[in-house]
Amino acid sequence: MLACLLPALVLFAVFMVYPTVNVFRMSFYTWSGFSPDMTFVGLDNFRHLIDDKQFVRAFQNTVALLVVVTVVTMGMGLFLAAIMTRQKLRGRNFLRFVLYVPNVLSVVVIAAVFSAVYDQNNGLLNGTLRLLSLDGWQQVWLGNQKIVLYSVGIAMVWQSLGYYMVLYMSSMSSIPEELYEAAGLDGASNARQFFSITMPLIWQNLRTSLTFFIMSAVNLSFVLVRAMTGGGPDSSSEVLLSYMYKQAYTNSSYGYGMAIGVVIFVFSFLVSLLVSRATRREPLQF
Amino acid sequence: MKDSTRTALLVTVRTLIAAACVALVVVERTTIGWGHLAVMLVALAGLLALLASYNRRFR
Repeated sequence: MLACLLPALVLFAVFMVYPTVNVFRMSFYTWSGFSPDMTFVGLDNFRHLIDDKQFVRAFQNTVALLVVVTVVTMGMGLFLAAIMTRQKLRGRNFLRFVLYVPNVLSVVVIAAVFSAVYDQNNGLLNGTLRLLSLDGWQQVWLGNQKIVLYSVGIAMVWQSLGYYMVLYMSSMSSIPEELYEAAGLDGASNARQFFSITMPLIWQNLRTSLTFFIMSAVNLSFVLVRAMTGGGPDSSSEVLLSYMYKQAYTNSSYGYGMAIGVVIFVFSFLVSLLVSRATRREPLQF
Repeated sequence: MKDSTRTALLVTVRTLIAAACVALVVVERTTIGWGHLAVMLVALAGLLALLASYNRRFR
């Protein structure tokens, strides 16, 4: 038995456990990333984090994206899945296809698409606003410090929405129709049916996807920020992972970057743990 | 108080608290600082507490 598990365990140890432990170890050193000189500095890297305004800003941006994008994606995913499953909409297969397509595309392609949509002069968004004579609403979508983060957030929602919608649709379509018929005969409204039948019966799926989404949102925000804004303008769209990348690989402060990595690890782990605890319940069967 | 009224009231209160938490996160992001980050994290904890309170009766 152990012999069969050994190759997988070795791979897991080499590619998962060792790098993770190494992140923690390297956070106690200063190292440029190139020279052989590594100096042990204890908790100095973490002390510097406390005075680093850019780190705080990146942390705030990460929390804001995590909350807003999760609430919008999960809410819209559930709503659209319920509509598509319960209502006999015309062209719903086409709609499902259209919403799912972004998930098949590479994130870099999505970043390119949205950069074109947000283009200040010839972009789809400002062009449409001009066409509708709403010139006052035109913005420099990726250049305005107040809105750039939410411009990236919209791209994140667009990328993830279809996947979660299809995931919930598959769960919802396996719920027996008789349950809804019986509830309908008892006079339950559509909203009541959703909260009393659909939600409890897809809860395990919802719970898993929520935990998964929170972890993947941290990663997705990095790729989109890197490809769309590079953290700018003036670091206003910087997120924790992009700041870690900048410190470790551009600023040659590898140890400091790893200290940020430790904070990201602890934060993601804690949030996932709390979500898992908050949503734990006995599975319902039908 | 009737059961249906109580349920409606509970749903309204929960929705308002959730909206307030999201609004707090959005507003606090505009100013950089540990204090503002702490408020954002409290708002996130508030959302999770709401989720736990909704889930409690199904445990």
